[in-house]
Amino acid sequence: MSGTFLSLNSEAVHKRHFKAGDIICREGEYGSTAFYILEGKVEVFLSSPLGHVGTKAERGGFLRKLKSTITGKPQNPRDAKSERAFIPIDAPVDLPFDNPIAELQPGDLFGEMTCMSFYPRSATVRAKTDCTMLEMLRNVLDIMQRNKSFRERVERNYRKRALDNHLRSVPLFETLTPAFIDYLRDRVELRRYAPGQVICQEGEEGDSFFLVRIGFVKVSQAHPGGALVLAYIGRSGYFGEIALLGGGVRTATCTALDHVETVVIRAQDFKLMIEQFPEVRRALEVVAQQRLEENRGRVTTIRSAPIDAFLAQGLMEAQSLLVLDLERCTRCDQCVRACADAHDGVSRLIRDGLRLDKYLIATSCRQCRDPLCMVGCPVGSIRRKNSLEMVIEDWCIGCERCANNCPYGNINMHPFSVQTNDPTSPGKQVAEVKKATACNLCLDYDEPSCVYACPHDAAHRVHPNEFFAYLVQQGDTTLKKGS
Amino acid sequence: MLIDSTHRVWIVGTAVALALGTAFYIPYALVSVRGPQGGSAVGIIYGSIGSALMLFAGLLGARKKVPVWRVGRATTWMRAHLWLGLLSFPFILFHSGFRLGAAPLTRWLMVLFIAVIVSGIFGAVLQHFLPRVITTRVPMETVYEQIDSICGQLLVEATTSATELWSALEGDLEQANPQQRAEAATAGTKGGVTFASAIGADEQFATTLHGFFDDEIRPYLVQHGGRGRVLADKERTSAIFQQFRILCPKDFWPRLNDLENICEEKRQLDRQRALHRVLHGWLLVHIPASYALLLLGAVHAVVALRY
Repeated sequence: MSGTFLSLNSEAVHKRHFKAGDIICREGEYGSTAFYILEGKVEVFLSSPLGHVGTKAERGGFLRKLKSTITGKPQNPRDAKSERAFIPIDAPVDLPFDNPIAELQPGDLFGEMTCMSFYPRSATVRAKTDCTMLEMLRNVLDIMQRNKSFRERVERNYRKRALDNHLRSVPLFETLTPAFIDYLRDRVELRRYAPGQVICQEGEEGDSFFLVRIGFVKVSQAHPGGALVLAYIGRSGYFGEIALLGGGVRTATCTALDHVETVVIRAQDFKLMIEQFPEVRRALEVVAQQRLEENRGRVTTIRSAPIDAFLAQGLMEAQSLLVLDLERCTRCDQCVRACADAHDGVSRLIRDGLRLDKYLIATSCRQCRDPLCMVGCPVGSIRRKNSLEMVIEDWCIGCERCANNCPYGNINMHPFSVQTNDPTSPGKQVAEVKKATACNLCLDYDEPSCVYACPHDAAHRVHPNEFFAYLVQQGDTTLKKGS
Repeated sequence: MLIDSTHRVWIVGTAVALALGTAFYIPYALVSVRGPQGGSAVGIIYGSIGSALMLFAGLLGARKKVPVWRVGRATTWMRAHLWLGLLSFPFILFHSGFRLGAAPLTRWLMVLFIAVIVSGIFGAVLQHFLPRVITTRVPMETVYEQIDSICGQLLVEATTSATELWSALEGDLEQANPQQRAEAATAGTKGGVTFASAIGADEQFATTLHGFFDDEIRPYLVQHGGRGRVLADKERTSAIFQQFRILCPKDFWPRLNDLENICEEKRQLDRQRALHRVLHGWLLVHIPASYALLLLGAVHAVVALRY
């Protein structure tokens, strides 16, 4: 780094010393700096207790609970197969779910997403030993990232210590042997992309497989009338497998939403990997097939939908709407009560919202096709399950990013009083934490509780396309006009 | 609950059960020497069936307390409540031999039962058409419990709009548009143009509006229901604001429209409140009468069987 640059930006980078036990940054806080460790070790962990709002019915009798509580995994097990073994964070390593704590060493850089894209801190970092580090603002980090020797050092560190962990954080690659990861270690490439930069273009030949290390990638397909967003992919997500497994041509365009860094596995290494590990090939093929089917489903939906009406009400993105027939609904609020009862006293729906003719689209998660709420979750806690239900995983740190991102106000932050040891202040207990809550369609039941509990047959969870087709069939001219 | 073709199975089932009950009752009533008696074996069977139906209908209240329990869809429970509850009435009449009974307890039971059935039918009728009325007549409907809070917000919005409006009419340049400000700045240099005329100020109308806000708009927004208020009448309100538009410079019409819309929203919320009370008010009779009926019915059963 040139002396002139440093003298001009002397206030943008500071050498900081921390004593063992000092907190360097806390999860959920907004910041604008990244840290580069010069000496000493730090530990990275989540201080928020792992847990979510329970979805079991109250068994305690007719009396309602007065306070909500967090339900941990043992009390409310979720489908183990679909769960990740690692929690993605803004650091070279991911946190194991069972024991969410990791260690960083000299030469490691953390807080890049916060620094470059102003995301909330994804984890709490505490000095394990006395340590010295550089805290830098975005302009300095940007210059450092372009510095060849610094990049090489960071990449070397990543390959040496984090690649293994990062690959294994993806369930599909769990079975890769250490020998093959060693083989990949020097062959993968780390590529950076600026916001808006196209990573791969629909229709071009696929020559690589991408694993997201930092940032969010938008996957879209060109259609008459504009691009259709198919998915957002965050840290530990991957793309590019369809072209390499199938016809060799990219089926969608992938664009960096913010500052993105990917681990690139070239086509020949990818082929070698799937030859040597048939189970990885099989798993990738299943995922590729699922993605293709989902994409086809979306395109079919959009082509057959009364687009004007969808667009006018912003409902095109929905996959599931809670619709109340206002001519049947007696406003008894049983749906709201059932929702609250199903979720430990915290309702995830409000009986108010958009009106379409005699129908009310209640304020409740629509399970959007383009789930903007997922963009920017610093720990990847909000995700889609089985292609429809949005799930907020137990490691939510309560930063409110998803709630702010949801354009329809369907994600709420709920405070919980919990008594648990505060890792940031040993000996003390945390009094209150926040967790995001959104409708998950009552995953533990066959049918959403709001619908099940409606005595007047007024509440229905519907697919928007079928719903509008029904309305149009009924001869609703207003809808036909798209107003 | 909307009673439509999806109730066909329940209607047919109830009709068949009633026909069977009647078919057994007629020969029983004809052959009984002392006429049909509640204490006879057949009477007790009718009474037991009627009581069981009543009890089951009463369980809907308990079912609603545990909306998440998977013990059958609430819609099914509601249909069962409606039709089995209704069916219990003829069975109890068969039990009593179409008499009120000699003892005060049985008389009270029949009075309560009639109250429950009539209030239930009345409620079902209300539920049949009132939701549609609310939907069409209250487009700005909100959550019932939020009405007071929204009325409070309307008052704040109206005060802000009105203050800005009369400030502008009194010549406050901050409320004028850029063109008016430019003209006001050159007032006096052009023939006949003054600062006030440039921005369309009209102090007399400002005073009128101030008075109208204090005397009518504010009290109307504060008052529950708005009974006796001019603004509670849509046509009169429309006429008043139309008159204001004639007196008010066109630039200020959007603020007048805001005030008129706020009054319209308040009117709709009042209407919602009134309709909501009617829609749910019958439960104040139906539920206590049902509890009393079940309680006294149990007492009647014990007393009758024991003594």
